[in-house]
Order: sequence, then C-alpha cells, then structure tokens
Amino acid sequence: MIKNAIAKKTLLALLLITAGIVQAASLKPYTGKITNPQVQLKDLSGNIHTLEQYKGQVVLVQFWATYCPPCVKEMPSMNKLQDKLAKAGVAFKILAIDMAESKAEVEAFVKRIKPEFTILMDESGSSIQAWNVFAAPSNFLINKQGEIAYTLFGGVEWDSTEIIETITQLSQQ
Amino acid sequence: MFIKNSLFVIFIFFLSVSNAKELSYVELPSGEETEIRIFPAKGDVLVIGFACDNGKSKHEEATAQSLADDGIEVWMPDMLGTYMLPKSRSSYAEIPSEDLTHVIYEAISTKKDVYLVASGPDTQLLLRAAAQWKKSYADYQDLKGGILLFPRLNDGAPEPGVEPKYVEPVGTTSIPLMVLEGGRTPNRWGVNHLTQKLGASGSSVVSKIVPGIRGYFFKRADPNRTEDVVTSQLSGLIKVSLFYLQELKK
Repeated sequence: MIKNAIAKKTLLALLLITAGIVQAASLKPYTGKITNPQVQLKDLSGNIHTLEQYKGQVVLVQFWATYCPPCVKEMPSMNKLQDKLAKAGVAFKILAIDMAESKAEVEAFVKRIKPEFTILMDESGSSIQAWNVFAAPSNFLINKQGEIAYTLFGGVEWDSTEIIETITQLSQQ
Repeated sequence: MFIKNSLFVIFIFFLSVSNAKELSYVELPSGEETEIRIFPAKGDVLVIGFACDNGKSKHEEATAQSLADDGIEVWMPDMLGTYMLPKSRSSYAEIPSEDLTHVIYEAISTKKDVYLVASGPDTQLLLRAAAQWKKSYADYQDLKGGILLFPRLNDGAPEPGVEPKYVEPVGTTSIPLMVLEGGRTPNRWGVNHLTQKLGASGSSVVSKIVPGIRGYFFKRADPNRTEDVVTSQLSGLIKVSLFYLQELKK
C-alpha cells in the first residue's frame, strides 16, 4: 500500500517535471513590436543571406553562441528537424546567427559539432540589437509572409511532434 | 632546529591572521542579528559587499583581503544566513529594507566614503538598499556609488524580440552606478538597455564590457585562462570601478 503510494507520488512528480520542461520549451505567439524583421548577413563561405530571399518558406531564425551550452545541445535536433521537414516536403529554412564571435571561433565549432544548417555571422552585433535579443538561444519562427509568428527562449528538442506540427501549419497558411 | 622552524611558522601564522577579517555582529531593526565579516583598512573608503552566501563564493575573501591590503575596508554582511534563507531569487524579497539600510547606517557611522558592491541577482539588493537609504536617512551622508558586477536583474525569463523587464529596484536609486558585464555572455547585449533603465531615476551610470569572460566566471568550475586571470584580479576591477564612480561624482 505504502509502496503504491510512493510509486504514485513519484510518477506524479515525474509527470509534473516533464510538463514543466514541455511548457518551458513551447513556442509562444510573438507579442513584440518588430513588424518587418530584416537579415542581411554572410555565411561562413561569404555568401550573403537575406530574409527576403526566403519569403514563401517558414524560417527559423536563431541567435546563438559557441559559449552557450543549450545552443550546442539542441543543434543535433535542429539537424533532425530540417531533415524531417525536407522529407515531408515542407519549405523550411534555418538561419542560425552567431552572436558576434570571430569567424575562426565559429569555424572551429562547426568542424566539431557539425551543424547541417546555415550559420550566419554577425560580428558587429547589429542584427542582435535590431531584433531585441538579450539572451541565447533566442529563436524566431518567421511565417511565409516574412513576419515573426512565434518566439522561443532556451534550448529545446526541435524535432518534437509539437514543433513539427506548428511549422507544418505555418507552411500551409 | 625543528623547534626554531616551528616557532617561525607559528609567528608567520599569527602575523597573517592579524591582517585578516574580523567578525562583527549587528542587531537589526527586525530583531535579527547579522554577522558581518569585516576586512579592516585604514583608508577612507569602505565597500559593503552584499555577499549572501557567507564566503562560499570562490575568491570572495581573497578579493576582500586584497582590497583591504590596498586601504579599502570591506564589510560582508551575511544577509541570507541572517534569516536562514536559501540562495535563490525568491529569497531577496524576504530581506527587509530597514535591515539593509541599518547595515549602511553602521558603515556610514565610520565617516568613511561608503560604496556598495554586489554580483549577479544580488545586485537587486544593492539597488533596493541604496534607494531606501536615501528615503529613510535623508539627513545623513549619501552613498558614494554602487558597483554591479555582472548584474542579473531580469524579471522572469527573457522573451526574444521584446525589451526586457526588470525587477522593481531597477531605476529607483540616484547614486552613481558602475556596471561590469562579461564579453562572452548574451547579457552583454542588454547592457545598454539596462544602463538606460538604471539611469531613469537620476543615477549616472557607466558600463564596461570585460572581454573574453563568461557570466558568473568567478563561480565556474571550468574557468578558461582569461577567466582565471580576471578572477584573480577581481579586486583590481573593483578598484577601477571605484575610480570611475569617484570621477562621476565630480
């Protein structure tokens, strides 16, 4: 009887913890004032990427840094997210903007962690300021019209069913 | 020979102890008694560090001793231990402002120039204490300034694309403030905004980015080389900050 009660309480605690993690990691509809977000940054090969060129696709704009542990931890799930959505035929792009580190630092990091999505460099920090980013990882989900639809702060498993569904729905709007 | 050596070691030990901290106990308006670690010095500057974990922070006492060696007296009241509060953000609200200002009153009574210093989320105590001091002790000498080392003053989790909201004490004091932030932490991008908000109540605020270091670097178990160097020079950072604050006051 007592054992059952302990098991029940443990299960309840685990459920609450899991619920907390999911809640902490969920996408939130954007409530800020940025109406026309812009990106014009170079990738590690020197090619310029703009948000404009990806209009018609759902874009995940992420601000990250090599010294940010959750940023590093979630990168494999971003690779998987990109892969799953490509297989499902969803037009989707990830632009991961490094927060003002040197190219040498980021190149060494990429060699080690192997992100399969586009890494952009913002060595001056101008985009970080324009997008009101004060923490990492800061994530923005951009709809097909080029507007910020959702935001998410903190690390998350990007290839979760919930996130894939949200992106798929956005791609149909 | 052995006895001679032992006596020498004991002599050196007592010599070093004579320069070390003193413990002082102050009765607070709430009825509690707080323990203050005092690193005495003969200079005319006194720094109160709202160190709330009673010396558990790495290098805390070494930094205080180094300042004292250079003539800057340091007081470290154990504001969490006094109320048996855990070191968490929710604990700060439990510390009565009257008790904080009473510690300041004791320091001001020494006739030295009093500055406050705190790090991380403890900086909200510094701001609250400074604002309350001005209100409750208007006839007394004001504080000369506050040093906010790597302040963490956000109210709740940051929201991407939205200006941060801060805890209530931000923008309530008018004393000169110095903000130091690490170059390898996303918080550096919030320094300008925070500086602006801190100055809303009339404070002159100077902020500086310390390159190559992460947030809470002086508490990290895995410091890099730069962080090790800066940690060992924390007293130097505080002295530079005091210099800036003295210049702001002119």
